[in-house]
Parts: sequence; C-alpha cells; structure tokens
Amino acid sequence: MTGYGTRAIARGRGGFVLALVVFMLFAISVAGAAGYLIVASEFAMARYSSEGGEALAVARAGIERFVGEHSGTVPDTVSYAMGDGVVVVTTRKLAETDSVTHLYTLKAEATVADPRTPATPARRVVTAQAILRRRPMPHLAALITSANSVTVHSFGDADGVDHNTAFDCVGGGASSITGGVARGAISGVLNGSPSSEIWPGGWDAIRDSIVARWDVLSDPDFPVDYENTLPPLGTIPADSFPLVRFTGHNLTSTSGDHNKGVLIWVGELRPWFLFNWEGIVLAENIGEPFLGFLGGGSVDGMLIGGLNADNSPSSVEIRTDVRYHSCDVYRANESLSYFELLPNTMFEAR
Amino acid sequence: MVGAARSGFTLVETLIALVLSTFVIGLATHAFLVQNSYYSTQTLQAEAQDNARAATQLLGLDIRTVAEDGIVTAGARTLTLRTPIATAIICNKAGAALGDVQTPGGEAGLYTPTVAGLALRNDSTWEYAIADWSTLNGSDAGSASACASAGADTVGASAEFHRLASLSSLFSTTPAIGDVVMLFRETTYSFELSALDSVSTALYRTPRGFAPLEFVTGMDSTAQFQYRVAGTSTYVDTVPSASVASIDAIRVIADARKRAASGGLSDVTFGLTTNITLRQVR
Repeated sequence: MTGYGTRAIARGRGGFVLALVVFMLFAISVAGAAGYLIVASEFAMARYSSEGGEALAVARAGIERFVGEHSGTVPDTVSYAMGDGVVVVTTRKLAETDSVTHLYTLKAEATVADPRTPATPARRVVTAQAILRRRPMPHLAALITSANSVTVHSFGDADGVDHNTAFDCVGGGASSITGGVARGAISGVLNGSPSSEIWPGGWDAIRDSIVARWDVLSDPDFPVDYENTLPPLGTIPADSFPLVRFTGHNLTSTSGDHNKGVLIWVGELRPWFLFNWEGIVLAENIGEPFLGFLGGGSVDGMLIGGLNADNSPSSVEIRTDVRYHSCDVYRANESLSYFELLPNTMFEAR
Repeated sequence: MVGAARSGFTLVETLIALVLSTFVIGLATHAFLVQNSYYSTQTLQAEAQDNARAATQLLGLDIRTVAEDGIVTAGARTLTLRTPIATAIICNKAGAALGDVQTPGGEAGLYTPTVAGLALRNDSTWEYAIADWSTLNGSDAGSASACASAGADTVGASAEFHRLASLSSLFSTTPAIGDVVMLFRETTYSFELSALDSVSTALYRTPRGFAPLEFVTGMDSTAQFQYRVAGTSTYVDTVPSASVASIDAIRVIADARKRAASGGLSDVTFGLTTNITLRQVR
C-alpha cells in the first residue's frame, strides 16, 4: 500500500477534503460574521435605548434638583453632573404676575455618553414652567418666637419701628410693624405698631405665617452660601445677603459675629454681646442668653425662633437689640426666593 | 506497463469514491439547507422583533408624554392621545383674543400642520380646545418687545416669541398673563388590516387632520391595547369614556407576525408586551 497509485489516491482525497474544509470554514465565517453583526446591532440599539432612558431621567432630575435647591437670584444656566450624564438647566423669565411672583420656563438638556462612543451621546430635553416666589417672607414683627413666655430685658429691645430712616433702598421706609410676638405672654422693652402680639397657634402657625420653608433651609443637603462659617464682612458685596447656616446643638455665637444675610441656626441660638446681624435670623430655638451676658449685640432686621417645634426653652429672656430694618429684611428676603414647579407642565421636548 | 496500470483507479475504487462523494455532498447540501432554513427563520424572527419594537417605541414616545386628561379614546384596537407640541406662558395680552408666548425655536420650531388645538392649564388639569393653526396663529410682529415691556427676558430669543389668536373664544375663561397654555397634537393609533399586505395587521398612526399612515406592517391580529384605571391592578381592553381620565397605565401588546415566503416554513411570531405608565413626568 505504499505504491505510486496509492499515493495518488491519497493526494486526490487530500485535495478534496481541503476544499471541503475551506468551504465549511468560509460558511462558518460568514455565519459568524452575520451573527456578530446582528448581535452587535441589537446590543447597540439596546444600549442607546437604555442611555436614552437614563438621559430622560437625568433631564427630569435636573429640573427637580434645580427647583429644589435654588434660592435667591436666578442664574441663566446651571450644570449638574448626575448619574452617568450631565444636565444643563437654563432659565428664562417670561412673565411677572406682580413684583414678587415671576413665571419662568425651565429647560433641561441632558446627555449621557457611553465611554466607547463618546461622540454620540444620548440626549433628552425636558421643559417645565415654574413660579419664582420672590421675597416670600412677610414683614410681620421684629421678634417672633413660639416660646410660651418672652421677656425683653432692659439690656435689649424688640422694636418694630423701621430703623431704615434713610429711605435709601428698595423696600425702605416701610410702616412700623409689630415689636414682638410670643405664644403665651410677652413683656419688657417693646415698641412698634402694635408693640406686641400673642399668637397662640404655636410653632407651626408661625412657620406657615412667615413662609420660611424651615424644613428645606435646615436640611443639610440644601446648599447654602456658607456652612458653619462666617465670611469676613468686608468680602461680601454690598448688595449680597448670603445664606449662612450653622448646625448643631447649643451653639453659642461668639466673637466676630458681625455679619449680614440670612442666618439659619439649626440648634439653640444663644446670642452674645458681639453678635450683630443685619438681615434675617431664623433659629430652630432661641436660647437663654450666654452665661454672664449682660446685654449688647443686635439684630437689624427680623429674629424668628422656634421653627421646628415650640421654642425650647419655653421661657426666653431677650437681652439683644432686635430692631426692624426694612431694607435689610428686604435684601435678605431676596435670598429666600424660591421656585415652585407648576403642576402638569413638565414634558419631554421632542 | 505494470506500473502504468497500477497508477489508475480500479472500478471498485471509483465506485467507492462516488459513493463517498455523494454521501459527503448530500451531507453538505443538507447542512446548507438546514442552515438556510435556520437563517431564514432567524431573519423572520429579527424582522418580527423589529416590528414589535418599532411599534412599542413609537407608542411609548407618545404615551409617556401624554398630558393630564389627554386620552380621548381608549379601545382595544384604537387609542387617541393628546400630547404637547410646546407649552408656554402668556407673557403679554393684546386685547382679549390675542396673547404673546415664547416657545423653543419660535413658530419656525413648531410643525404647525400637526397642531390640533390649544389647552389652558388650571391647577389640576388642562382645558382642551380643538383649533387648527390657522385659527390660533396671530401676527408675530411686536410680540417680543411687548413681552419685554411686561418683564419677560427676551435677550437672544426675540424670534421665539409669537402671538396666539382666538384666545377669548376657546376656553371657559379667557387666558390671562401668566397662564400656561399648551399647543397639542392629537394622534390616533389603531391596529387594522394592512393596506400593504392584505393578510397582515398593521399599526396605523393618524395625526388629526392627516390621512392614516401605515407605520408598522407585520403586526399580528392579536396586537392590541389594554388599560389600567387608577386604583385597580388589572388591565382591561376598553375603558368607558367616563373613566378615561382615570387611566394611569397603558399596556401595549405589540404582537408581530412575519409570514414565511416559501420552503415550508411556519409563520414567525414575536410577542412584546410593555406596560407604560402615564404622566411619568409631572
């Protein structure tokens, strides 16, 4: 079986098998390539669909976040990195119902890109209409607290007469307001029109009356301009009244506390004689005066305390000058402006 | 000579080679036919999936943006929706009938033939009024400057402001400055006999004012809509008109069918059922 004829037959069969193998390999390759294309195409479609859905969610979340976190002056554009994407929220004022009620259209454009195809990100746009509530806090009284009993010591006062005598600012020259408000009884050095009032409704009535959104402002996730620190007074622009938040229990204001803006005091505010504030002070509780503190310090604007429950302690003695200043309240109030989404107006733009 | 004789094939060898070749070729042919049948089935399957997916995506786009009280008809084979083209705030009034608005891209950014009407937002829903664009379209000259005078920010967007007409005759109360209006389209989707393939069902899309468009051919006769009414957990085929406003989810049963052309293959069907919640954005 090793003769020439046998080798010829073997060569002939070898060639035939080779052709068959090549054909089969080609067929398998074609089938494999087709399968790969189908799978790749399906994968790309599924991925793009998934990213599109995420982009829509990011766009919606962008509007919700902007509305939820905004306070004060309205920016033209805000950008957030959210999830795997980026959303750019743009605002445009379209109408003024009155001086404190403005209507805006909000547009959120979100893009979510796959790292493998960064040049072709999924993109979704959502629009919504919103109301800007400007300067939401009414000028009700120089001192408002849900403490049951308030005594304004002779070292301080609660004065509802407008101390902005120069009438040199927008909102200045307002009429006198109430000097002091308490839940049960208030006495001492009080001035205003009237000098004092009793609001028996408690802290929630006060919270509703002053429209302060205490639950939002005191939320640690709500962004403020300064957290647990006071900016040097000279570094704050003249027309700026920033949001400043201190968080903790039994915080004691100490030296160098002359500042301005909206002070959000989460805890018990115990003013010391160097505590001088221009604007609005919102305190979870107004506490007893600092140990040994005889008097001094001032709030030019409004001081409101007892916003999370009835003020604790229930009896408070005020040794600070709390004097209504319409301009400072007006300017600080601007920093409390907030958005409300109009229901049924958020839609995907297509 | 002996050597030359030994160099050829014997009859037996040739017969064996023929038998083997026939067997191998038959095997390869069978493999090819099976593969071809499989490929054809896969192709039909892919096409059926494409049809089901296209129908679901098209419907999903509109269903997820349907406005409050925006379902007009809710039947097993027919669904009519109102979806926003643009929402806008009235920034100026020029008499009772005319109001200025800003929409992204302005009037040029609207595909006005599809405008089915205007809706006015109140605190809980929309009041819809059917009106074509020729009824709603006012003269745009001066819209931006009028709105700017009323406090609107028109910087860089003057061309996006335009005037709407007929406002006083469309709604129970005349819209005022600050009210939100919505230009909407009204679209009817229906599963009907295909005009392109007489033995197949198709998904038709019919914008108000337009002729029906056969959007997806190759749907199965079992394709349909189902609805869930708020407070219930089951989906039903039809919802009476009195309860249409309570629909909170729509199930799209996008069953697709591709008919086999030849070769004894069976029809390929693919079922894709999707539940789409309404008003996913508030």
